[in-house]
Amino acid sequence: MSKKIKEYKSSYLIKQLPSATAFFDKKLRLLHASDKWINNFEFELDKIFGKNINELFQKSEIEWQCNVQDCLAGKVNKSFVQQHTDAENNEKWIEWDMMPWYDEKEDIIGLIVKTTNVTQKIKKDQDLIRLQSLLKVKSEIAKIGSWSFNLLTNELIWCDMTKQLHELALDYKPDVETSIEFYKQGHSRNSISQAVDNAIQHGTEWNDKFQIITAKGKEKWVDVSGRPLYKDNRVVAVFGTFQDVNDQVLTNQKVRENERLLQTVMDNLPLNVFIKDLDSKKILVNKAECRYLGVENPDELLGKDDFELYPKKSAQISRKEDLEVMNSRIPIFGLETTSVKNDGSKTTFLTSKIPLLDNNDSVTGLVGISMDITELKQKEEELKKLIEVTTDQNKKLVNFAHIVSHNLRSHSANFSMLLDFLINESNGDERKNLMNMLVEASDNMLETLENLNEVVTINTNTNLVKKQLILRGVAKKVVLDLAAFLQNNNAKIVNRISEKITIPVVPSYLESILMNIITNSVKYKDPERNPVIELRAMKTKGFTVLSICDNGMGIDMEQYGDKLFGMYKTFHNNTDARGIGLYITKNQVEAMQGKITVSSEVGKGTTFNIYFNEKT
Amino acid sequence: MKKLDSICIIDDDPITLFGIKKILSNVVVCKTISTYKNGKLAIDDIKFNLEKVSNIPQIIFLDINMPIMDGWQFLAQFIKLPITQKVRINIVTSSIDIADRERWEYYKTRTHHLITFNNKPIKKEEISQITEVP
Repeated sequence: MSKKIKEYKSSYLIKQLPSATAFFDKKLRLLHASDKWINNFEFELDKIFGKNINELFQKSEIEWQCNVQDCLAGKVNKSFVQQHTDAENNEKWIEWDMMPWYDEKEDIIGLIVKTTNVTQKIKKDQDLIRLQSLLKVKSEIAKIGSWSFNLLTNELIWCDMTKQLHELALDYKPDVETSIEFYKQGHSRNSISQAVDNAIQHGTEWNDKFQIITAKGKEKWVDVSGRPLYKDNRVVAVFGTFQDVNDQVLTNQKVRENERLLQTVMDNLPLNVFIKDLDSKKILVNKAECRYLGVENPDELLGKDDFELYPKKSAQISRKEDLEVMNSRIPIFGLETTSVKNDGSKTTFLTSKIPLLDNNDSVTGLVGISMDITELKQKEEELKKLIEVTTDQNKKLVNFAHIVSHNLRSHSANFSMLLDFLINESNGDERKNLMNMLVEASDNMLETLENLNEVVTINTNTNLVKKQLILRGVAKKVVLDLAAFLQNNNAKIVNRISEKITIPVVPSYLESILMNIITNSVKYKDPERNPVIELRAMKTKGFTVLSICDNGMGIDMEQYGDKLFGMYKTFHNNTDARGIGLYITKNQVEAMQGKITVSSEVGKGTTFNIYFNEKT
Repeated sequence: MKKLDSICIIDDDPITLFGIKKILSNVVVCKTISTYKNGKLAIDDIKFNLEKVSNIPQIIFLDINMPIMDGWQFLAQFIKLPITQKVRINIVTSSIDIADRERWEYYKTRTHHLITFNNKPIKKEEISQITEVP
């Protein structure tokens, strides 16, 4: 052993070798080793020389053993890599080079072993493989391919993914000319050519979407990026990515189309549409809603709640509805609401509020739809009024028809009866009597017809010309006309009508009305006292009310109230009561869009209130 | 000729009064024929006679459209009177209003008196039938 150590010491030259090298004799005992080799394996200096290689490394692998044996037989094998675990349990990768050791006679006297620590290189290789496979997976999942174009060799390289995206076989060899032809003619092809050209000429980078037509003829959206590679300040290559974005683009297009469709539909609906969030703040409004709230841009409404847009009271009602819809998830449909704006203007809406749910079925707000029915409401009101008028006129007409038919029938019945008597009568005196009665019947019928004609004239004269008259003045004139009649009956007229009151009336009607009622008051005076008739007038909503109040005998309203203004209804045993006056008065008042009411107490007097419509 | 004690005619039209009386004179002999110009005069008189327990009319000819108290108002009061004997009330009207016929139907079922509905003019053929004392 000491001899070996001596030998080791004598080979001082080997000790200093810059590479890790060791010399073994034919029996595989270690004879020399460089310090680096010893350090590599962290051997202890005085314990290794003379020891067998198998003892030192305890390698049992066949490959290793073969290499050793081959080497001793003069065969030089390729270097090989072996894992080595050091004293601190660190894994190292060692590359072994073994070669035979010849003496001057070219006889093999042992083997020379050179080792290199390749741990770092191996690790890098492993990392590279890992990275490459990761990249591959990534590119497959994201459908991102790559490409590069070498300007010097004019060589275009596509990765497998890029080929797949073109629907090409993996052995396809692309070139610049044909590759451009995959791009859809027109915008896509022009743009990509331009982009590549710019990159080559000016070093411009790009990243854009293009349409290609694959080898199988499918249209597809791709995202192609490219950037130049410089060498010595010159562009020598262009490379980049190639990504399938077809689904994205189509989805985006679809989404944009849908958004546009929705916006177009919403904006052109004759309805106010809005979407509110949980706090009742508007997050979407259509044009009609903007117009209603008097703004040009929807942005002026977004983010605002009703308290910022409407008077407090309206906002409170609306917020209450919102909360109810969002909490109960039960929509409100077609609720008639009146919206008051800050300027006080009122609009009637048919409002629907529908809760808005997200994908998890939780309420995120509500959709509101309001239809402006103000005009409709007005029309409805007008229609109602029209129906009232028509119904009223119809009633009058039926009533009048009855009156006519009844009156004419009663006269004709009399004629028929009297004529029948006359035919069968031989007595001269009796015949004369019957003839007189026939004449009387005929006169009665003529009078009836005249009365009816008067009523018809009042009701059919639609071209009534109203004049603005001073009421007090007209009353004075009527009283003057009746002076003799009033004096004969000791009647006193108290005219308390203000000078200022003027009313639009048909002059002849007003005179006729006044004359008729005043005459009635005198005719039906209380036998116990002189008649006093008081005239008053006052303005009420839309009407001027003329009150004519007497102290006459009065009418039993319970018994006759509903018949007072009927035709041929008389209520007193007064011989000149014809039962036509008040009927005509009522018709005249109504022909001027007015109305007449009466209150009376037997023994005290009667008051007529005549409402003159202020409309001209 | 039928013999009757009391007939009452209520009508505001003198020609009708004359006519009914004239036709009656051909078929019946009646002790008293009273005529009234409206319902009020008639009911007042009937009430007055009822108190004296004398001469309740056996037959009443009743017009509908009359001043002061019309035929219906008269009927409403008449059927309330404590008259045990059955009175024939002949409504004689020129009205062809369905409402009037309906009111007749109404009163018919609410009294023990016999009420008939007749249109003017009354014919001679009808008169013997509607002068039958029920």
